[in-house]
Amino acid sequence: MNSGPPADVQAERRRAARALLAAPLLTTADEDFRLVRKHAAELAAWFTQETGWRLAVDAETARLFKSPSRLDDATRPARTPRTGVAFTRRRYVLICLALAVLERADAQITLGRLAEGVLTAAGDPALAAAGVEFRLEHREERSDLVAVVRLLLERGVLHRVAGDEEAYLSASANDVLYDVRRRVLAGLLATTRGPSTVTITDPDRRLSALTEEVSPDTDELRLRSLRHRLTRRLLDDPVVYYAELLEGERAYLASQRHAITRRITELTGLVAEVRAEGIAMVDPEDELTDVRMPEQGTEGHLTLLLAAHLATADGPRTVPELVDLVRELAVRHSAFWRKSAAEPAAAADLLTQALDRLTALDLATVDGQAVRAKPALVRYALAAPIIRKARSRS
Amino acid sequence: MTTAPPPQPFAYLNAPKAELYGQVLTVFAQARERFIVHLRPEDVAGELRWGADGGAGTVPLEAVGGALEQLVEWGNLRADADTGRVTSVEDFHRARYLYQLTRHGQAALRAVLLYEEALGQRGQLQSVALADIAEQLGLLLVLAEQRDPDPVKAHLLLLQLADRFGSLADNAQAFMASLRRTIDFQDGDEEAFIAYKDRLVEYIERFIADLANRGAQIADLIGRLEGAGVARLLLAAARREASDAVPLGDGQEEAVDAARQTALTSALTAWENRWRGLTDWFLSRSSRQPSQAKLLRGAAVSAITGLVNTVAALNERRGGRTDRSADFRALARFFAEAPDDAAAHRLWRAAFGLTPARHLTVDAVTEALWQDADLPAATPWGEAPPLEISPRLRETGSYERRGAPNRVADRAPARQVLAELVEQEAEQTAAARARLATDGPVLLSALAGPNGLDAQEFRLFLAVLGDALSARIPGESESSAVTSDGTMEIRLKLVDAQELVEIPTVDGVLSGPEHVVEIIDLAPAGGRQ
Repeated sequence: MNSGPPADVQAERRRAARALLAAPLLTTADEDFRLVRKHAAELAAWFTQETGWRLAVDAETARLFKSPSRLDDATRPARTPRTGVAFTRRRYVLICLALAVLERADAQITLGRLAEGVLTAAGDPALAAAGVEFRLEHREERSDLVAVVRLLLERGVLHRVAGDEEAYLSASANDVLYDVRRRVLAGLLATTRGPSTVTITDPDRRLSALTEEVSPDTDELRLRSLRHRLTRRLLDDPVVYYAELLEGERAYLASQRHAITRRITELTGLVAEVRAEGIAMVDPEDELTDVRMPEQGTEGHLTLLLAAHLATADGPRTVPELVDLVRELAVRHSAFWRKSAAEPAAAADLLTQALDRLTALDLATVDGQAVRAKPALVRYALAAPIIRKARSRS
Repeated sequence: MTTAPPPQPFAYLNAPKAELYGQVLTVFAQARERFIVHLRPEDVAGELRWGADGGAGTVPLEAVGGALEQLVEWGNLRADADTGRVTSVEDFHRARYLYQLTRHGQAALRAVLLYEEALGQRGQLQSVALADIAEQLGLLLVLAEQRDPDPVKAHLLLLQLADRFGSLADNAQAFMASLRRTIDFQDGDEEAFIAYKDRLVEYIERFIADLANRGAQIADLIGRLEGAGVARLLLAAARREASDAVPLGDGQEEAVDAARQTALTSALTAWENRWRGLTDWFLSRSSRQPSQAKLLRGAAVSAITGLVNTVAALNERRGGRTDRSADFRALARFFAEAPDDAAAHRLWRAAFGLTPARHLTVDAVTEALWQDADLPAATPWGEAPPLEISPRLRETGSYERRGAPNRVADRAPARQVLAELVEQEAEQTAAARARLATDGPVLLSALAGPNGLDAQEFRLFLAVLGDALSARIPGESESSAVTSDGTMEIRLKLVDAQELVEIPTVDGVLSGPEHVVEIIDLAPAGGRQ
């Protein structure tokens, strides 16, 4: 491969590809939007060829329609900007209703008008039947709406013109004015079918119906679809375990592993960590992720220590055992950890957060009370200092 | 011709068959242009047939007859008995009339034409008008700068200017109105809109450029004219108009004077008013009262924005497969029906595809270890080198900075080599110094001894000799010096400048006049100062 593009072009393209993988919907406000736009043609060709993801770039937005690599992943919720709190079911309902209102709205809208529209839309009997109701009378209810609006602001669907949401929280009379960015709004939905055309009621089958793609009917297309599925997983997920793949996927990956990972490396700079149990596309630049490990701070440290504990333990641990361990660790590291971490009640909460991180990174599973390490967890085994010294270069 | 009801020449506009009435009246108007005054019903019908393409819109003679009678009733037309020859009995028995437009009808027709013309007017901005105005202002400036400007020329120039400016302002007004019309038709005919948009954008662009260029020039000229006393010219023009307005004649002299004065004042007011209009058009009085030109420019710019929005909306409408609002409502229902938050999170990822990629990290050290180990693909994670975690992070949960710290290069061995070198050199120098030192004054020729000076001694000797020679005052034969490092003293006394002696050394033979030298080692072996 000596006839690739020049190094600086390749570096730019790499940055653009990474930006899209990290945030599939970019607007002019994003730093790397310009780069994405510059390399749109090559990136679009790559993503179409390797993943089947469509990349749409215009003067205002760049959208990679990242159809998910797996549907059983519950570790990537929408999060409220600033606080980072995961959305609840209510907030998800609310954001969809708000989007339905915006879809019909003029070029500008106020928060008050949006709230009115949401209330009207919330009158849908199907929502009431599912036990979701909105009145937006109380502060908490308004804060749900504000969380939704903040997410839309962050994503560039709305643009604040006057006023602020904080004031609206304290009294609904304080209104806020927004521009509606129709381009961005139009690029939000990534389903392959319009949800309004899906009539299935079972939640799981509904998910696959929403993302269903044309089933391949020739061998060649079948292989391509296999490649797309695997490349998507490698591009999006921390670890791909062979044991979790279907038979056909496993066989294809075994034979095409080198070609697939090489193409991903060329585009993104991710490096393949190929092991007997699976493949992790790891990032030497430590930036293409929303969950870091190792990470500083109390939770980060605990996650690391917990990882070490689980990696060296033989067999699963139970949650109560681990809560005890957390308490112990909190005492031992009280000098470095947050003060509140030492309170006895904090242990369970800290453990949940640490386990959330480990499951998000696909390093452990939590099944009821049993916590099991997954194979890749041992890459964090904290080697003793003596061994480190023996290994260090002299 | 009945006289009872007053004429209602505009009534036909709201009548059920307004179109037919309009066509009939147009036929009369066109006939008038050909200097034909009277028309028979057959003529009218014939004209209508002629005007319609391929007879598609043929109007039956009876309908025409009815329309004519109705128009006579409203007072638009006048019917006179037709006394011409007939060729059939039926025609003879039928009441026959010749029709012509009445004065009311004619006036109404003209008014309606004017009305339609004004409505249909596409606003346009002539850059030519801007250029003309600039040119005439230039001429006016030349005139204003003369000591005794010709009132006739001034008047004519001002008249032209007013005319040009009037048409520019009218057009601009119509233009602004038409812009609003084009932008308003968001739900209108797409194709017509798309065809129109390019032309409009191009037009607006040209206009903005013209206005920007000419506007500044004109504003400048206006400023200079006001400085040069444009008021005199306005007065001159007003005088000429006033003298025109009042016919000199038999009235009393005083009354004529008063009338002339009134005419002059009103003419002057009119001219000053026009001038102010011109000024306001091109000069902003303040930021709160921007000039018309500025407003117009703003309107044109926002017109382009509006246009773009309309195009975007049209595109979006074309691209939408399903009703997205309904889609979002359906999704809201799906979320509401999700059994738990985890299911909702999964739905979020699947439906919106906005979630970030997530990857483990690796640092350079670990990566290098993997490469060095050249691990086969079948190596289990447990057997591969694990990720290097900084001991500080492991211990305290934080590191000074992200990433592995740079290794500090260990220079101890190199430093030792250097130290050894330095020591060795010092030893050699000390030894040389010891050998070079003399026990009291000796002859230079005897300094070297039988084996000559070795390299170390010679280098040292050259150094001290150089110091001593440079310390010697010209004309003196004796000198002494201490080396700059303070380790040796040399005393030198010339014996005979003519007698050359030779000092053998390892590097060669040094020759020079004979001296008595005394070299004293100030830092005897071992003990350095």
